[in-house]
Amino acid sequence: MNFTGLSDSFASLHGATEECPQCHATPRVSHGLCLSCLLRHGYDEEEEGAAADFAATLKSIAVTDTNWRLGNYEILEEIGRGGMGVIYRARQRHSRRIVALKRILSYHADSRDTLARFRREAEAAASLDHPNILPIYEVGETEDGVPYFSMKLAPGGNLQEVGPALRKEPREIARLMAKITRAVQFAHRQGILHRDLKPANILLDGCGEPFVTDFGLAKWLDTASDLTRTLTIFGTPGYIAPEQAEGIAANVKPAADVYSLGAIMFDLLAGRPPFLGEHALAVIKQAAEKPAPKLRAIVPGTDRDLETICARCLEREPSARYLSAGDLAEDLERWLEGRPIIARPVSPPVRAWRWARRNPVLAGSVAACLLLASIAGLRQLQSRKLMAELRQGQLRMHSIGVLPFLDLDTATADDGLTKTIADVFQAKLWEMGPASVVTVPSDKTWWPDTASPADLSEANQRVRTRAILTGSARTTQNARRISIRLMNPASGEALLTKVVETAPGPVGIGQLAHQVLPTIYALLDSKDWADTSFSARDPGMKNPEAREFIISGRQFMFRDSIEDLDRSIGCLEKAIAIEPRSAIAHAYLASTIGGRDHFAPEPRGLERAEKEAEEALRLAPNLPDAHRALAGVLYERGNLSGALEEQLRAIEAGGPEEHVASFIGMTLLKLGRPDRALGWLNMAQHWASRPGDYDALIGDCWTQLGDDGKAERAYQRSIDLRPDFSEGWIGLSHLRLLQGDVERARAIHRKNRGRFAAHEKSVEEMGAQIEFFARNYSEARRLYEALREKHLGDEASFYGAITTASALGRLEQLLGDEPAGRALLEETRQREKSEAHPNDPASLYRRAAIDSSLGKIDTALDHLRAAVAAGWVDSRSLRLDPRFDALANDKRFQQLLSDLDAKMAEKRRQIGQPKPMAAQVSSGSPGEQIKQ
Amino acid sequence: MYPDTTSGSTAGGRFNTTRWSLIISSLKSDAPDGKAREALAQLCRIYWRPIFAFICRQDYSIEDAQDITQDFFVMILKGDLIQRADRSRGRFRTLLLRSLQNFLIDAHKKTLTRKRGGDRQIVSWDDWMAEAPSRLSISASELGGWPPEKIFDVRWAATVAEDALRQLQEECEKHGRRRVFDALSGLLTANREDVSYATVGRELGLELATVKRVLRQMRQRYRQLLRAQVAQTVERPEEVDDELRYLVSVLATK
Repeated sequence: MNFTGLSDSFASLHGATEECPQCHATPRVSHGLCLSCLLRHGYDEEEEGAAADFAATLKSIAVTDTNWRLGNYEILEEIGRGGMGVIYRARQRHSRRIVALKRILSYHADSRDTLARFRREAEAAASLDHPNILPIYEVGETEDGVPYFSMKLAPGGNLQEVGPALRKEPREIARLMAKITRAVQFAHRQGILHRDLKPANILLDGCGEPFVTDFGLAKWLDTASDLTRTLTIFGTPGYIAPEQAEGIAANVKPAADVYSLGAIMFDLLAGRPPFLGEHALAVIKQAAEKPAPKLRAIVPGTDRDLETICARCLEREPSARYLSAGDLAEDLERWLEGRPIIARPVSPPVRAWRWARRNPVLAGSVAACLLLASIAGLRQLQSRKLMAELRQGQLRMHSIGVLPFLDLDTATADDGLTKTIADVFQAKLWEMGPASVVTVPSDKTWWPDTASPADLSEANQRVRTRAILTGSARTTQNARRISIRLMNPASGEALLTKVVETAPGPVGIGQLAHQVLPTIYALLDSKDWADTSFSARDPGMKNPEAREFIISGRQFMFRDSIEDLDRSIGCLEKAIAIEPRSAIAHAYLASTIGGRDHFAPEPRGLERAEKEAEEALRLAPNLPDAHRALAGVLYERGNLSGALEEQLRAIEAGGPEEHVASFIGMTLLKLGRPDRALGWLNMAQHWASRPGDYDALIGDCWTQLGDDGKAERAYQRSIDLRPDFSEGWIGLSHLRLLQGDVERARAIHRKNRGRFAAHEKSVEEMGAQIEFFARNYSEARRLYEALREKHLGDEASFYGAITTASALGRLEQLLGDEPAGRALLEETRQREKSEAHPNDPASLYRRAAIDSSLGKIDTALDHLRAAVAAGWVDSRSLRLDPRFDALANDKRFQQLLSDLDAKMAEKRRQIGQPKPMAAQVSSGSPGEQIKQ
Repeated sequence: MYPDTTSGSTAGGRFNTTRWSLIISSLKSDAPDGKAREALAQLCRIYWRPIFAFICRQDYSIEDAQDITQDFFVMILKGDLIQRADRSRGRFRTLLLRSLQNFLIDAHKKTLTRKRGGDRQIVSWDDWMAEAPSRLSISASELGGWPPEKIFDVRWAATVAEDALRQLQEECEKHGRRRVFDALSGLLTANREDVSYATVGRELGLELATVKRVLRQMRQRYRQLLRAQVAQTVERPEEVDDELRYLVSVLATK
């Protein structure tokens, strides 16, 4: 099959957006006509014209295609036509000589400048006098100033037409190519580049003698497509040199013509040009990014030397090609005469050079050059130049900028690790070949491991590396877990995500390097990074129908009305029905079902969400969305450490972002690690769409740590910045309650409760808790009963782990109805036992509270110790909660309380200055508070 | 080459049975008869580029995309896909795209398992490309963001317009007036006040009034060819305006 012209099967592309002045659309067809206007013409205009009428009109005018005159020529017939020009067979009026005549089509000849340039260049081409360059006889212009030129008419067709007949004749091909190349060399010596050498531009006379035509005139007479004009580059995809495709005229040197000569020879031998593609731009892109295919891979029997000669011409780096057309011609002639050719496959010098890099003592630069020269038989000067070019190109290609790694244990940047990784990777990559690894300068404080598109683009502007590396590290039971992500700064997509368990310390970094660097080097070796993103590879996202459902599903995923969530579930289920292998669809479905269960619990809701999340992880073990979804399910179940692990894995797979950071903060808070939670909440705060979103939670951290001043400031900040949130003042009122200041707690609550109908439940819970802890029993009972009536189910309150039933049970006891109280408490004890996760600190605390109310002192203490071990830290609630009255005078209880206080005091002292984040947050923010 | 396209000039300037309505009516009875199949083949022959472009956008190599296009034509010409497709809304374009999407759902597996060979070749790419070279040119930056469906539609729009232009050119050539086409076709969509009739007149050696008259006639002729072209792909002549408006709307949205 002949592939020539396939590039036109889709469309040519133009670089700049050239809007139609009439309709602003950009697609164009021939003659520069606007496609949209052409179609609109079909319904905007009134009249239609029948074929017969039009024929009559045409015949009525005395304009014919033959036997008309252009300057001194009588036009006989049209013999060729391109995007801008037409070629005629014509007769010179006085000499009667038959010539080929080329002219620009008048609709392109729109400016004086253009015409003048065409004329100048045609005159330059006419000055070339060589037996294998088609002679230009005359450059002239019509009465209207449209220039044309006449030249020898070559009756033997061109190489494109005769190519297939030559395919099995390598000697003939080499003979033709040698002549063509000598002709090109001749023009180069006159300072004229061809710029569009291709089979169609090599004409043959009656004896099969080749003539190169259209020197420097390609852009005027392109016969393949409009591409050359619209991309403002010249040449034909498939034969054009990569540096020429970049479009900078100054970069185009004789080596570009050498490349095209190689491509023509490749085409003649293989029956197709080196690169094929969907459209012209794709062909050009491939030529710039990929090495040319091996001739023998396409036509196995090809002579090895001819393959080497072609490959040498088709090197991407101009300096790696033959230095001149003359050198190429010489090698072709050597081959024809049976002498050894000069060119060798390029790899040996590259290998030698790599060897030199690894053996720097032996190979000083002079020694390396000599070695190269002896191996490749090249002149020393050439080698040095080749080396410099190679080195520069290789280094650019294999360069990595390192952004700070995130210490997942502290939620701060690990500068030491970042530096070590950069150093170790640099050293180890050198062993594989030229490479450069640099840390991104830290005059700006980077948020560790984020690599957001904005970060990437800024980092890239600073270091100009090809890839950006970042990641995280954390301590697990007996190892250090390091995740790395190699990012493509151009697309923002991860090229590689890898999590490695290593030994602690520098040994571990060595292990990491050993495991990941071969893959990284291979990635850097590859020119083409298209399609590395996960979402592009997910089967659901690749299927247009499924993709639509996934995208619609995602739109409704984060709403909080049941109808929207159900709509989202419906869409995602349809997506999965179409493409069951879509991990993204399963992960989104897990999140949505989990979210729905949060608002409207259903018997098997969490189970279903878990199943979907696990399916997603089975399909794509590194999908951050799936880890997040599973974390949500585990959190709802009370499996907080499980949830934390999944959240950390989500970060290891995809880097941190606001929601996962805040989620981790909240989980750590519940796990009794307010000190660690603070770092994550500050990180979330940094990305929050509005300031103040996480201040109430930050306040909770300080409350737990017992630093009331900081807690109060954080709550106040939440109240000031987010007056639409109830959390700030509920937190503040809770703090006052814990401080024993019932009056102020009550006052804050009364002042604000009316304003938050939407947050009714937590508002009412705090109101009831104030009266409960204030031992205002009948009022407390009234409030809890109101709560029970309004809100079905018996969830625990956010503060103090109080369920309505357990509070009411205790209140019945305190108000004198012991049997009713016991009955309620027994019932809630059973439920707690059967439903709660065994390691949920809040649940263990509730069970201690119920046991204590029931007078089971020892089990109460056991549960309380278990709660503390699982992470319960709030000692003040313990002192105030009437459910723990029975323990109040127990020494073991007292001891437990003072242990808790000491633990929190220690944690408070330990909080140092979180490294980068504190510096990033502006003054007056919670970050400031952490620094103190 | 385009036997039906002059049908617009028959009695009353209205259309004869269009190709697509011929196919539709045959489907309403039974398997497509010979005439309907021939009509279908004709349409596929004209509209292969949108199909090929759409397939190329599904991450197939050029060679695979060619094979799949071949396979798709085989299915279409057997009448299988059209038979299965929902025929309640009768544009050839929408039906072809839907059939193509259905076809591609399991085409991937097949390309992996079968051996590439010449036996399924029902189209000759070289012939098709030589027959109707396209000069559609699109802004590279826009193309990147287009979904395959839009590429299909844009390619379709270009096929419609370029085919009408080509017929116009052939009519000019037939009467030895290619130069007239060269000089005037670039002005088909230009605002009348923007046209420099004098330049064109000098180029062709014609009086100003003559140039105006010929250009007007050429526009009218083009309009009829374009509408006849679209009429082949819709069920009823009244739908031609809608189809044209749809194609214009596709080009207008970024």
